[in-house]
Amino acid sequence: MSAYANAKALGRDAVLEKIKAMNLYEAGVYREKMIDHIQKAQEAAAEEGADMCAVAALNNADTDMVFLELVRQAPDKILAGAAIAAIASGAGKAVLMLPEKEGELADSLKEKAAEYGVEVVNEFLNIRQNQTNLLVHIASCADLADAFSGSYEPGIYAAVNGAALKKVPADKKVSEIVDVSAAKAVQVGYAYYTPQECDAEVGALNPANGIIRVLTEKDCIVDNAAKATLACKAQSCGKCVFCREGLIQLEFMQSETTKGRGKMEFLDLTKEIGEAMGFSTPCSMGQQCARISLSAMGKFASEYEAHIKKKTCPAGVCQAFVMIYVDPAVCTGCGDCLDVCPKGCIEGKPKFIHMIDEFECDRCGKCVEACEEECIHITTGKVPKLPDRLTKVGKFKKKRH
Amino acid sequence: MAVITIDGVKLNVPEGANVLDLALENGIYIPHLCHHKDLNPLGSCRMCIVELEGQEGVVTSCTLKAKDGMVIRTKSDEINRLRMLALELLLAGHPEDCSTCPKYGNCELQMLIQYIGPKTGRLKMRVKGFKENSENPLLVHDMNRCVLCGRCVRACNELRGVKVLNYHKKGMETYVGTLHDKLLADADCRFCQACAEVCPTGTIRDKLATTEKQKEDYVVPCKAECPAHAEIPRYLRAVKNGNMDQAIAIIREKLPIPRILGYICTQACANQCKRSCLSDPMSIRLIKRYAADKDIEKKWRAKSKQLPDTGKKVCVVGAGPAGLSAAYYLRKQGHDVTIKEAMPTAGGTTAYGIPAYRLPRDVIAGEVKIIEEQGVKIECGVKVTKPAELLNEYDAVLMAVGGTVGVRLGMPGNDLPGVLLNADFLRDCAMGKETGMGKHVIVLGGGNVAFDCARSAVRLGAESVHLACLEAREKMTADDEEIEQAQEEGIVVHPAMTFERITGEDHVTGVDFMKVKAFYFDENRRAVIEKEEGSELHLEGDTVIFATGQKPDLNEDSGFKLFRGAWIVVNDNTNDKQTSIPGIFAAGDCVYGTKSVVMAVQSGREAASQIDRYLGGDGDISEVLADDKPGDPYIGVIEGFAYEKACSPKIDPASERKDNFRLFDHGICDEDICKEAGRCLQCDLRLQIHRPHTWGDFAESKEA
Repeated sequence: MSAYANAKALGRDAVLEKIKAMNLYEAGVYREKMIDHIQKAQEAAAEEGADMCAVAALNNADTDMVFLELVRQAPDKILAGAAIAAIASGAGKAVLMLPEKEGELADSLKEKAAEYGVEVVNEFLNIRQNQTNLLVHIASCADLADAFSGSYEPGIYAAVNGAALKKVPADKKVSEIVDVSAAKAVQVGYAYYTPQECDAEVGALNPANGIIRVLTEKDCIVDNAAKATLACKAQSCGKCVFCREGLIQLEFMQSETTKGRGKMEFLDLTKEIGEAMGFSTPCSMGQQCARISLSAMGKFASEYEAHIKKKTCPAGVCQAFVMIYVDPAVCTGCGDCLDVCPKGCIEGKPKFIHMIDEFECDRCGKCVEACEEECIHITTGKVPKLPDRLTKVGKFKKKRH
Repeated sequence: MAVITIDGVKLNVPEGANVLDLALENGIYIPHLCHHKDLNPLGSCRMCIVELEGQEGVVTSCTLKAKDGMVIRTKSDEINRLRMLALELLLAGHPEDCSTCPKYGNCELQMLIQYIGPKTGRLKMRVKGFKENSENPLLVHDMNRCVLCGRCVRACNELRGVKVLNYHKKGMETYVGTLHDKLLADADCRFCQACAEVCPTGTIRDKLATTEKQKEDYVVPCKAECPAHAEIPRYLRAVKNGNMDQAIAIIREKLPIPRILGYICTQACANQCKRSCLSDPMSIRLIKRYAADKDIEKKWRAKSKQLPDTGKKVCVVGAGPAGLSAAYYLRKQGHDVTIKEAMPTAGGTTAYGIPAYRLPRDVIAGEVKIIEEQGVKIECGVKVTKPAELLNEYDAVLMAVGGTVGVRLGMPGNDLPGVLLNADFLRDCAMGKETGMGKHVIVLGGGNVAFDCARSAVRLGAESVHLACLEAREKMTADDEEIEQAQEEGIVVHPAMTFERITGEDHVTGVDFMKVKAFYFDENRRAVIEKEEGSELHLEGDTVIFATGQKPDLNEDSGFKLFRGAWIVVNDNTNDKQTSIPGIFAAGDCVYGTKSVVMAVQSGREAASQIDRYLGGDGDISEVLADDKPGDPYIGVIEGFAYEKACSPKIDPASERKDNFRLFDHGICDEDICKEAGRCLQCDLRLQIHRPHTWGDFAESKEA
């Protein structure tokens, strides 16, 4: 309670003074000085003559929701921060807005929230209805609470390569935080960056969703972008044309590319739709999610060309380009692979070379594990000539000659 | 005030006004889809984007507020490119079957395509895969056609306050619907149909929409069905708000004898009431009766029209509903009007046909008094035999003599002693004269008049009363409540019977019937009756009353060209009621046969207008009597609204009503009236919603 009690005791002007003096920042996609952030909200509310409310939330575009850890681990901090934001802005009340699926988390907070005078709701933030409210990121709430309990340390919260959230200095280079020596790309926030770009400061690249993650040669950029865009598509509320329909188109183009059905036109179309989404949507959902595809296609075009033109996935991740085959020279016709295949797509009988139907096969790899002769291979490269009908063990090569 | 410039056109506009609306009002078309003048701006469709001088990029004009000095451009290559992209994105999830869409030709999306141009086909198309939902009354939902403009959501939530529709997500698809996909009725929908009104595409549609009728007529069918086109939803709303003075003023704008109609109107309106698709139809007649009974004669009296005297004299023959109505309006137009009535008092059919237990005589007297107060002279007990001679004294004559002679069907025994005619019987009964009725009565006919005869016979002390008619029970023209109440009073109803013969030598002893197997009209519109073999039925009785129609008491001596020897031929039933004798007009039942009181009223109104024009007036008999307040569009939530049943009027039990002619239906009580009137769907509120501007409107005005 102490941070909130301290702020309350100080009064609004002193609270604002302190926020300014401590150079606090608003976290998330709006990254700017907190004092400016509050002032802008006050001006918007004044222009409309509306009552202001302080709303603590995640960015709509945030599909990973790593910042919810802060709420789970230190709910008092977040609630105090929201209440302090209300004091600072002169807002009538404070609301903690949690994602719609986090009903249990919200329920567990309600009692405590009442002590701070904070209302807890489960909603997708409707940007139009909150134009005159002070929107503060949940991470900013933690900073505000820390600032008023004397435990504030400057920096940006980030979960580096899937580790727990921790503060990293905003002026440190990204390349000093993660090892980019083996990196193909680095995801910072809602975009992918080349290792060279990682010489920029963390604050400049702004991991707004808390994510800094290295992608190596084993990661496929297209597959990553496709999955991330799918998550965005699922999260979009769908009220605005460019976000709803744009994400559907972007996701389609990404996933088609992973499936080997990509076209070179996708690159231009992604650019056109993605850039338009940036200024044709009102909230981070459309604005930020478009950056995933834009940065992936813009900076890693060679990866896309490999998928589209060479029909291969350099990382060997996209299963459409992966083949599993039985080496006809080694197969003993034991039938172990046939027994484990969940799709029933292996043809064979004792003492005959077994064959995998590549259209039915979903590349699960169970046969590879089952084969004691180690004659079943996974490859993204060239496949040797294989029998096209059941052939007796040992007869295949002879036939060729 | 602010001066803004749109595409080089300088406009003086209120500071802060909506730029898109301003442009449209000033003849500058900006394509738009999610925007609607009556709804809060959303800015989601991005069709209305414009460029603002001094600002990079584009902004949506629907969310732009006018500021002094603003310079706006609505067209540029960049704007066109982005509009095209927005349209392509919208169409990616929209079916490509315009030609089979019910909204074809009225679809705002279709018009946008015409304006912006056909899409390039470079985007991935998808089928949303929703099932068309026609499980709800009045409205059909086809979410496949939805472009998520959100107009319906805003109309339902912000404009109406009903809060039924909202955005939901199923899998990856956002759609508009009720919480948990409940039926509208279970979600407390008020069925105001604003959603269908604002929907730009064929997504939310009226089930009752038809190209055969004007939109106003299928949207507000009660008003369309009323012969006088009374503003029914409007006065129902006034009653609901407890403003009876306003209600009666609204009614009186169209109906000069509202109280009579409140007691006996056949209310064709209620048969069309959209409420009946949800639960019971509105009790329109009873609500009108309530308002008329509470008439304090304030508002409408104050605004009542009376033009200066014209010096023209008009004679109206017959003081029934048609004659009284015509006389009233002719007087208001400034003419000197005299009604000549053959009977001892005014009222016509309402006084000498309709029994007093349905329509108390003081009600008629009150209505007649109002008409007399307006300056109409009524001469009773004067039977006009030579109408043409009236032209010597009057500038114009209106024949409104009604149908006062009963029709005797051609069948054996139809002139035996003991056979009575409906008109004579009811007239004698009304005047307290001896009717000639015995103890056992058989009424032939299935309309309201037949029931008036049968129920009057019960009240006059008949020991048994049977009623038989040709029509099947569900085809009988009498009101259902008439039939049910008659049965409660012990009247035995025999539907689907042919009348074979009236039996008896020197007096009626009964009637022979046969059961009807089928009754229809052939291609020549001739009635075909198929009888059931071996279904002979004999009913014994000493009195037979023909209630099989009435005709005017006229013959060739009257000087008029007649139809079938009795009905007066006019030039045009609606638009020119002049008879074969110039200067003499005709209206009501004597022109078109026995119909309803309200139809006679309307016929009288039309005649008044035409006679006024004939006499040199402008023929405009319309009046504004009520305050012209639009209905409150914010109707709010009422739990269980769709299921609300009609409030029953207080009706005396059969045992208390069958031996006297006292009024037995006491109408809806004070406690229930607000609730009953509040059940109205207020279909007319929809018509207050602005019609959207489409490119077509602008294209036409430019060509002209």
